[in-house]
Amino acid sequence: MLWKLAWRNLWRNRTRTALTSLVIAIGLLAMVFTDTMFVGMNTNMVKNATNSMLGHAQMHAKGFRDEQDVKLTLNDLDQALANLDSHPHLAARSLRVITHAMLSSSGGVEPVLSLGVDPQQEQFLSKFDEAIVDGDYLNFVSGQNLILGWKLSEKLELRPGDRLVLTAVDAESGEMAQELFRLSGIFKTGEGQMDSSMVLVPRQTLQQILKLEGKVHQIAMRFSQLTHDGVPVLPLSGQYQSSGNEVMLWTELMPSLYMMTQMTDISMAILGIILFLIISLGITNTLLMGLYERLFEFGVIKSIGTTPWQTARLIVYEAICLGLFSVVVGLALSVAGTALFAHYGIDYIGIEISGITIQEKIYPELEWSRLALYPFLSIGFTIIASVYPAFKLWNMLPIEALRKRKL
Amino acid sequence: MTETVIAAKNLTRTFGEGETEIHALKNVDLEIKRGDFAAIVGPSGSGKTTLLNILCGLDTLSSGDVQVSGNSLRQMNGSQLSRFRREHIGLVFQAYNLIPVLTVLENIEYVMLLQKVAAAERKERVRNFLVKVGLEGKENRFPAELSGGQQQRVAIARAMVSHPDIILADEPTANLDSETGGQLLDMMKQFNHELNMTFIFSTHDPHIMERAKRLVTLSDGKIVSDESRN
Ligand SMILES: Nc1ncnc2c1ncn2[C@@H]1O[C@H](COP(=O)(O)OP(=O)(O)OP(=O)(O)O)[C@@H](O)[C@H]1O
Ligand SMILES: [Mg+2]
Repeated sequence: MLWKLAWRNLWRNRTRTALTSLVIAIGLLAMVFTDTMFVGMNTNMVKNATNSMLGHAQMHAKGFRDEQDVKLTLNDLDQALANLDSHPHLAARSLRVITHAMLSSSGGVEPVLSLGVDPQQEQFLSKFDEAIVDGDYLNFVSGQNLILGWKLSEKLELRPGDRLVLTAVDAESGEMAQELFRLSGIFKTGEGQMDSSMVLVPRQTLQQILKLEGKVHQIAMRFSQLTHDGVPVLPLSGQYQSSGNEVMLWTELMPSLYMMTQMTDISMAILGIILFLIISLGITNTLLMGLYERLFEFGVIKSIGTTPWQTARLIVYEAICLGLFSVVVGLALSVAGTALFAHYGIDYIGIEISGITIQEKIYPELEWSRLALYPFLSIGFTIIASVYPAFKLWNMLPIEALRKRKL
Repeated sequence: MTETVIAAKNLTRTFGEGETEIHALKNVDLEIKRGDFAAIVGPSGSGKTTLLNILCGLDTLSSGDVQVSGNSLRQMNGSQLSRFRREHIGLVFQAYNLIPVLTVLENIEYVMLLQKVAAAERKERVRNFLVKVGLEGKENRFPAELSGGQQQRVAIARAMVSHPDIILADEPTANLDSETGGQLLDMMKQFNHELNMTFIFSTHDPHIMERAKRLVTLSDGKIVSDESRN
C-alpha cells in the first residue's frame, strides 16, 4: 500500500518527476560514458604499448636493464626457454640481442640502438613488419640487411638498397667490430624514439659481430590469457623463472603507464562523488517541494493512524521509485550512447599520452561489473537524498501539518 | 449503565506565553458515553477544534487528563498515539480528508491495511460501507471525481470501517450546502442509531445542531451548558 501510494504520488507532478529523473539519468549516462571511455583509452594505450616491442613481459639477465652491458646475456638460455615454453598461456616470444652501436653511411654517422631479431618471431611482438613505408621487412635470421626508422633514414640520407656500416663493441675482447649492411626497408611507427634511433638486423648476424653466438639479452613475450588490466592471468613466477634471470611484466617495465591505468578508478570515484552529490541535492529539493505542497495531506495520513516511521518510509519509497525509474532511463541512454560511440569510435589518433602515441581510434568499453555498480550508486544516492525529507516528515507533528494549510 | 468512552478531566490548553497567552480551554470536564451523538457548539474561537484535537491526541494538554477507552493519552509518544488513533478513533475533517491518489475503495481500505485486516474481511467491510454511505459503483473513482458531499461520505466510511470506539468530526458539514450537510448528518445519526457508533462533532450551523442528541456549548474555553435532548 505504501509502495502504491509512493509510486502514484511520484507521478502527481509529471513534469517535475520527469525532469528530475532525466537529471539522474543523464548523471548516470555521464558516469557510464566517462567510465567506458577511460577503460577504452586504457585498453588502447596498453595494447599500443605491449604491441610495439614491449610485449606483455620480458626476461633479462639480472642487472642488464640497469647496466645495458652486452656481456650480460641470459643465463642458460635452453633451460630458460624450456621453462617459459611450459607456461600454458605463452602465445609468442622473440629472442633479442641488443646493443648500442654507430651507424655510418655516406651521409653521416649516427648513434643507434640495434636490435638483433628473428624476423618471423618479431612479427608477433612488434609492428615493424606493418610499419614499413619504403622497401621490405627483414627476411631471414641471418644476412647482411637491416631496417631502420624514417627519421634516421632522413638524417643519413638513405634509401632502400643503400649500403651502410654498423660499428659495435664485441662482448669477448671489447674491441670494435664492423659489418657492412644493405638497407632493405624503412619503417614509420609513429614513436619518436624508434623512428629516429632504432635499427633492426638479423639476430645471427648481430650475434656474430658481438661474438655472442647462441646468446641473447632479452626475451619478449606475449600471452593469450590476460586480465582486464592487460596482465597475464597466470603468474610468471616459480617454475617459469630460471636462475640468474628475471622476468618483468609490462607493468614494471612501464610503471608510468600502469599508474595511469590505475588512476582511472580514483578519477571515476572523484567524478562520481561530485556528480552524485549535485544530483542528490537536486532530488532532496524536489522531494521537499513535494512534501510542502502536500503538507495537509500528510497531516491527514498521520492523523488517521499512519505511524511516523511509516510516513517517513512513504518519502523514502517515493525516492526509490524515482531512482529505479531514472536508472532504467539512464541505462537505456547509456547503452545506446556507448553502442553509438563503440560503433564509430573516437578519433584521438596521433595524440601522445605519457609517452604512448595513440595509434587507433578509441572505442568505449563497457565493463559489466561497472554497469551494475553505477545504477546501484544512483539509487543509493537517491535514497540518501530522501533521508532529510523523510526525517522532517517523521518528526513533524500531525497537527502542525494540518495547521499549515488554511481551509 | 452505559460505558464511558471518553473521560476528560480538568482540561486546560494554553497557547503562547506572557502577554500573548491564550487560554483556549479552561478546566474543561467532559464525559462521553458509548452511543452518544454529541454536538460541540459555540462561537468562533471558543475552543471547539482545540477540544476535539486534544480528545484524539493530536494536540497536547497544558494540564488535566484525557482517558479514551481506558487509555491515558498524556504518556503516549508519537507512534503510540498513531496506533491509538488507528485502533480507537475515526477522524473526519472539514474537507480534503481523502488521499487524492487513492481511489474511493483504496481510501476506505487504507486504515484497515495499517491494521493488517485480512483481505477477504477488508473487501467485505468496504462493500458493506459503500452501500451504507450510498456510493456503490463509485469505488474506483478518485476523490477529485466526487462532489464535496460524496467525499465527506467516503471520509465517514473510512472513519467507521476500522471499527473505532468513537468518531470525532470537526465541522464536517462546513464546506457543504445546508441540504447536503443535513443529509450527511442524517446518515451519521442513522449509524449512531443502528450500529451504536459514538459521534462527537462540532458545528456552527443551527440546522445541524438540531439533530444532536446532546449539545455541549463552549464559550471562551469553558463549557457553559451541556444538555441532552430527544
Ligand atoms: N496553534 C495555535 N496557536 C495559538 N493560538 C491558537 C492555536 N490554535 C488555536 N488557538 C487559539 O485558541 C482559541 C480556540 O481556537 P479553536 O480553533 O479551538 O476555536 P474554534 O472554536 O474551533 O473556532 P472556529 O469556530 O473558528 O473553528 C482561539 O482563540 C485561537 O486563536
Ligand atoms: Mg474550529
